[in-house]
Amino acid sequence: MAEVLTIGRAPTPSVDAKRSAVRWLSYAFFAMALLFAAVAAALGDVFFFRLATESLIFGGLALSVDLLLGRTGLLPLGQALFFGFGAYVSALTLKHLAPSLPLALAVVLVSGTLVGLVGGLIAIRAKGVYFALISFGLAQVVSKIVFNTRELGASDGLIGVPAPVVSLGVASFDTAHAPSFFLLVLAGMAALLALLMRLMDTPFGRQLDAIRTNEHRLAFLGFDPWRYKLAAFVLAADIAALSGALYPMLRGFVSPELMFFQVSGNAVINVVVGGTGTFVGALYGSALLTALKSVVGSFTAHHAIVIGALFVVSVIFFPKGLVGYLAPALERLWSRR
Amino acid sequence: MLDWLQFVLAPQVVNGLSIGVAVVLMALGLTIIFGLLDVINMAHGEFYAIGAYAALALIGVGLPFWWALALTPLLMAAVGYATERALIQRVFHSKDRHTLTLLLTFGIAIVLEDILKIVFGANPLRIEQPITGATEMFGLFFPNYRLFLMAVGAVVIAAVWLVVFRTRLGAMVRAAAFDRHMAASLGVPVSVVYAGTFAFGVALAGLSGVLLAPIYSVFPTMGRDFVLIAFSVVIIGGMGSIKGAVIAGLLLTQVQSISSLVISPVWSDPLLFGIMVLVLMWRPHGLFGRLGHG
Amino acid sequence: MKPTTDDAILKVRGLTVRFGSLVAVDGVGFDAQRGHITAVIGPNGAGKSSLFNLISGAFRPSAGQVLLEGRDVTGASPNRMLAAGLSRSFQITNLFFELPVRENLRLAAQSVEGGRGLLRHVSASRAAQRRVDELIERFALHARADELAGFLSHGEQRRLEIAVALAARPRLLLLDEPTQGMSHADTQDTAALIRSLVDDGLSILLVEHDVDLVMDLSDHVVVMHQGAKLAEGRPEAVRADPAVQAAYFGEVQEPAHA
Repeated sequence: MAEVLTIGRAPTPSVDAKRSAVRWLSYAFFAMALLFAAVAAALGDVFFFRLATESLIFGGLALSVDLLLGRTGLLPLGQALFFGFGAYVSALTLKHLAPSLPLALAVVLVSGTLVGLVGGLIAIRAKGVYFALISFGLAQVVSKIVFNTRELGASDGLIGVPAPVVSLGVASFDTAHAPSFFLLVLAGMAALLALLMRLMDTPFGRQLDAIRTNEHRLAFLGFDPWRYKLAAFVLAADIAALSGALYPMLRGFVSPELMFFQVSGNAVINVVVGGTGTFVGALYGSALLTALKSVVGSFTAHHAIVIGALFVVSVIFFPKGLVGYLAPALERLWSRR
Repeated sequence: MLDWLQFVLAPQVVNGLSIGVAVVLMALGLTIIFGLLDVINMAHGEFYAIGAYAALALIGVGLPFWWALALTPLLMAAVGYATERALIQRVFHSKDRHTLTLLLTFGIAIVLEDILKIVFGANPLRIEQPITGATEMFGLFFPNYRLFLMAVGAVVIAAVWLVVFRTRLGAMVRAAAFDRHMAASLGVPVSVVYAGTFAFGVALAGLSGVLLAPIYSVFPTMGRDFVLIAFSVVIIGGMGSIKGAVIAGLLLTQVQSISSLVISPVWSDPLLFGIMVLVLMWRPHGLFGRLGHG
Repeated sequence: MKPTTDDAILKVRGLTVRFGSLVAVDGVGFDAQRGHITAVIGPNGAGKSSLFNLISGAFRPSAGQVLLEGRDVTGASPNRMLAAGLSRSFQITNLFFELPVRENLRLAAQSVEGGRGLLRHVSASRAAQRRVDELIERFALHARADELAGFLSHGEQRRLEIAVALAARPRLLLLDEPTQGMSHADTQDTAALIRSLVDDGLSILLVEHDVDLVMDLSDHVVVMHQGAKLAEGRPEAVRADPAVQAAYFGEVQEPAHA
């Protein structure tokens, strides 16, 4: 969805100004997160920390979707495949190898890259709709296989995953300690966000934007779009897998549900509601929808209908999403001063 | 050998055919919606499920199955028409139409599935088979309901083909699909045609749901499971190709049916999916797909 | 000073392409000299666009050969063509409309760097940045450099279209109806621009509908008719050729006014 970079009619503000509004909103997100942490610590309730951490973890998955959808122009409907993969591999590593966070992440990164490569080779040859459906199908098929595999716990999944202790030289903290883990994941997401934003200012990242805008012309400029799309796909798979790797550390278990379409779908919803192509929009979207689900969920089990309806309204009336509208509005506000 | 053919293979083939016609109906709806509206209907599975539930509800208030079979497609057509006019047409004119309609129908699917859960509960329900017993042919017993299913399916498929290719209505619809503005200037009521086409596709999904309800059980996520095979059929057959939907639909269900003799059902979906991927690699537009679509 | 020795940068031999039963290009052969402007003209449906598509690698020919600087590039993909020194512009403007002018040019200029610097910040690529600035100056796009390409006027877009094709420093530039839809003033400016490019050593192969413009601008003209080459030679000779006149007879060739 290319509308993010299309700002408005005349006069045309420069693209840099819009990006600085997005940057400001990114800082705002993390500032608000820290504020939230302070409040939650004061309230002393672990539940909020865990919920917020979960929203960040799924936010990471949403970031991977935004890289593909918002930038490269590919709609993935099965990204949960890599998320769940990362979760399972992480759980297995923590349980059977060693309860070490860096080890789990390293194993997930390597295996995720391989799996992403295989998935990418299958899916990238397809364009548009076909890509979406192949990605959907891949996730359906693999999740069904996992669901039926006794060695992986079948429908119950894997439980009893130990929470590793992270030592950073001077200090060490237990990931089972909710506030510490929240801060760790927050830092991780901040780093990821910074990385992604920086990536889009490299020739590689700009190629992705170009592919989304006019793939056809690129071959005539001397580039092979296929390679870039594959690289983007693998990178997105890695991001999704690494995010998933954090899940068992938070909850102590993994289950096939993590690969189900629900998760893929929610990731896409997070991105669209938050603001396609803005990256930080994915995090905002995830936070918003996690909060909404929690609130609605306390009244009824049917939060899906509320979220679904919100999404439908968003697609029809606010296709640019939260950040997609806020950023230009902020920019206009600033340019008036 | 002959025995194996007669007592093992043949029943599977017949089985496959009976499911096959229902799959073809579903795929036809999907491919018509895509071919004529350029819309990927991610909610198609949910309309299939609603069809089954609608039949269930009608039977629940005392109507015989035959009434449910006749009324449900009409109900579904109304639902489809309303959906298209109220929701889909709103994003139709956007430059990002393909992505937006995909996302929109995907959102609609989520909402519809949850509505089904709310209204009917999450537990599987059953519809009694309206025709019981079996007929003996060639030394085998074929369940009557399945024979009936094949007959109804075949008739409807033939009717669809006739309408699309041999009637003025069909010509009008194809004209509108080909060139909206030209069709409009020729007096074709384009908005109505679009909504009507969507309604028609949805009705076919609903009909499929009713027909298969007595065979499979009825549960809120039945649509999502079933839509993958429908999409596979449409993609393999070629998006927008009616001939493709019929041939691919019948072939794939045969593959599924016969392969169930040697592999466990868990591998059935992966097999179909694998075939879809291979076909896409060899012929990116499907077997009978036309360039310029998808 | 135009080179006088026979120095063909492009040799096309027996180039043919069939679409089903339609023979769109039928055994076309000609040479384009280095440092010259070679124009391909012909009535509608003559096969000029198809010829361009064959030479630039958009389609594979059914038969024939394309030699670029002596190397056989027949049927090569567009990005290999670019690496070999051939770049093209498009008749229907094919820019990155949602990206700024500067970014359009930077993308095109980036390919000169190859795979190096892929993950460095874009501003680190000095060579590409310099090229972008150069092109903006040359094509008078300074006032609009930070605008999105989609918001430019038609004439500005057509200029940008050429600039983008030029960014990767090709040795042979294919221009597909560069003045399409332009006003008379813009057309003259573009003609002057094209001449200045050649003065710098570039070779140009041009498809144009505006016959007067072609006669003024080109050193060598190839006339196509119904997929085959009808005539070839210096502009004056071609114009006087009775066969060419017969082919165009009944076609009112208006100079491209606004």
